Amino acid sequence: MENDKYKILLVDDDATLCALLSEFLQEDGFAVETLNSGDAAVARLLESDEFDTVVLDIMMPGMSGLDVLRTVRAKQQIPILMLTGRGDDIDRIVGLEMGADDYLAKPCNPRELGARIRAIIRRTQQGNTNHIVHAQLHGILLDSGARTALVNNVALPLTGAEFNALSLLMERAGQTISKQDMTQEVLNRPLEAYDRAMDVHVSRIRQKLAAANIHDVIKSVRGVGYQMLTEPQLQQEKG
Amino acid sequence: MTLTGFWSTVKHTFGVKRLFWRIFIAFWLASILVMIATGFVLVNNFSSDEYNKRFFNDVISQAERIVWRYEHELATPTFQKSKLKNWISNKNNRDGHLIPMIIKDDGGKIIYKHRLNKIKLEDRAEQRVSGPSNRNYQVQIRKPQAPRIYKQVLYRFQSLQFGFIFIASALVSALLSWSIILPLNYLGAFSRRYANQQEVVSLPRKLLARGDELGDLALDIDFMVNKTHAAASAQQQLLHDVSHELRAPLARLQVSAALIEQKTPDSRHVKQIHNDCLRIDQLIQQILDYSKLEQSSPSIENSDINALCQQAIDNMAVNYPTIAVNFSPDDKVEISGYPEALLQAFDNIIGNACKYSDDGGLVEISTSAREHSVIVTVRDHGPGVDEQEMSKLLQPFYRAGNKMHTSGFGLGLSIAVKAIDKHKGELRISSPDDGGLCVEIVLPRELI
Repeated sequence: MENDKYKILLVDDDATLCALLSEFLQEDGFAVETLNSGDAAVARLLESDEFDTVVLDIMMPGMSGLDVLRTVRAKQQIPILMLTGRGDDIDRIVGLEMGADDYLAKPCNPRELGARIRAIIRRTQQGNTNHIVHAQLHGILLDSGARTALVNNVALPLTGAEFNALSLLMERAGQTISKQDMTQEVLNRPLEAYDRAMDVHVSRIRQKLAAANIHDVIKSVRGVGYQMLTEPQLQQEKG
Repeated sequence: MTLTGFWSTVKHTFGVKRLFWRIFIAFWLASILVMIATGFVLVNNFSSDEYNKRFFNDVISQAERIVWRYEHELATPTFQKSKLKNWISNKNNRDGHLIPMIIKDDGGKIIYKHRLNKIKLEDRAEQRVSGPSNRNYQVQIRKPQAPRIYKQVLYRFQSLQFGFIFIASALVSALLSWSIILPLNYLGAFSRRYANQQEVVSLPRKLLARGDELGDLALDIDFMVNKTHAAASAQQQLLHDVSHELRAPLARLQVSAALIEQKTPDSRHVKQIHNDCLRIDQLIQQILDYSKLEQSSPSIENSDINALCQQAIDNMAVNYPTIAVNFSPDDKVEISGYPEALLQAFDNIIGNACKYSDDGGLVEISTSAREHSVIVTVRDHGPGVDEQEMSKLLQPFYRAGNKMHTSGFGLGLSIAVKAIDKHKGELRISSPDDGGLCVEIVLPRELI
């Protein structure tokens, strides 16, 4: 059984909080390892790929959570959940833009943290169990099995959340998908007030598509959500 | 309104009370006075000498003629005194003008006399002439009287040179005045900018190194602004640190509560701890928001009011799913401002409207574009606010009717007002006749 537990790396400079959280999460059914500095976290993550998720505090002396995120993201796609100061919108958005999968404001209810970790893990491992599905639109080829998106046979460097969002948009191309639904399906959690996670993920997808010379295929519907345009719709918009 | 605004600007810039005009006029008047005084003295000396010389020349030439004639007549037997005058006036002098004089021969005998009786002795001058026979005569005349000096001065002022001097002195005075006013204006703008935007820019070295009283003033203001800024930053830093320090134990407290909850589920005490943790966290957040608005000054951005309202409405839709929101946006409601602060204001005002509405209630939000401003109206159909309470609403920590004791801290509207003040806007609250509350936010389009 021990081996089936999801393994989490918890990084926070507050050692007491780490110990408490670790106790809670272990009770909640996770295997937890804690580290108290950014440097140690980077070293540990680069030497081993045994973790299923990293929970990373942003405000740390020395190497901050954002620095760790940047360094680790350059090397691997491990799901990362950021703990941000509440209300520091900038931190959250910067974190997401740098490739974090989700964020949680600190202080938080640990039950919420447990739920978020499960949501992230479930989502990233979904692809491995599902059978392979291909979707194609605007020259984007989606391979749900390998969880990759190809444009002209070149893979788009998408994070887990971004891949899920793109595949949801492509599956329901032509329909407007509300932010509530997208957050639920992509991040496996309900939309919260002041929740910009979906907006940042979609904007990152847009940037990456634009870099592959695909423009304006995802439309924002003010007050509702997002829509992947079908080919005729795109012609109409442009015409 | 535009006209009066324009006029007040003109009055402000060019008003008589401005130091610029006072210094300018003082220097100009002084230089003109000096000019007049100098002119007066010069003209006085010069022209009276000139006039006297001419006068005596005339006198002597007339007297010599008379003496010549007198001696000539004396030699002839038909000498008649009266003819002498006629002869002179007809034949001789300028426009027949006879200068009043008395001519005596060396024996003291009056040989010629013309209107000098009334002139006192001390007002008379004497000259000597000699006739053809080399006899000496004494000529008494009135002392020369130069014409009124101011007439001469005025006459001189009509010349071109004086016009040039007049303009030049005006230019120099304006320049002098300007050189004093310019650094003062600069310092004024500098302190205003600091007061409005908490932006510390260093004063130009030239101003600081002047070495005169204005330079001292600049140094003092520079010192004061830096000191104030340091104090404000320290306060901000303290507040930030304290709130951060408060959050760390709060986070631990929450985890501890959750650990107890794991062991004894459904404990209402743990629920209470969770609720209070959330409440303390919200309070810390609002205090931080409040102080952040006061302290920081992000750069001015183009802000789409409709998008910000929509964002606030979206946020509220998550928190208050039972409240229906009716949004009627107007076109062209972009302003230049601070989108984050505006979003906070809309969040709090729309949040209040939702909070005070009953389940299933309707909140109406509209934006409308004016020429120089954008108006956002938020109208709810809740209990409304008494007239007496209206003014207290904007005070920090005041809660209307103290009804919602368990939610909110009464900081929301204060934060909104602060954000709107930052945009030099206006918040108006009114109670419509059919109940509820109507909040109007007027935001100028350009933030100066």
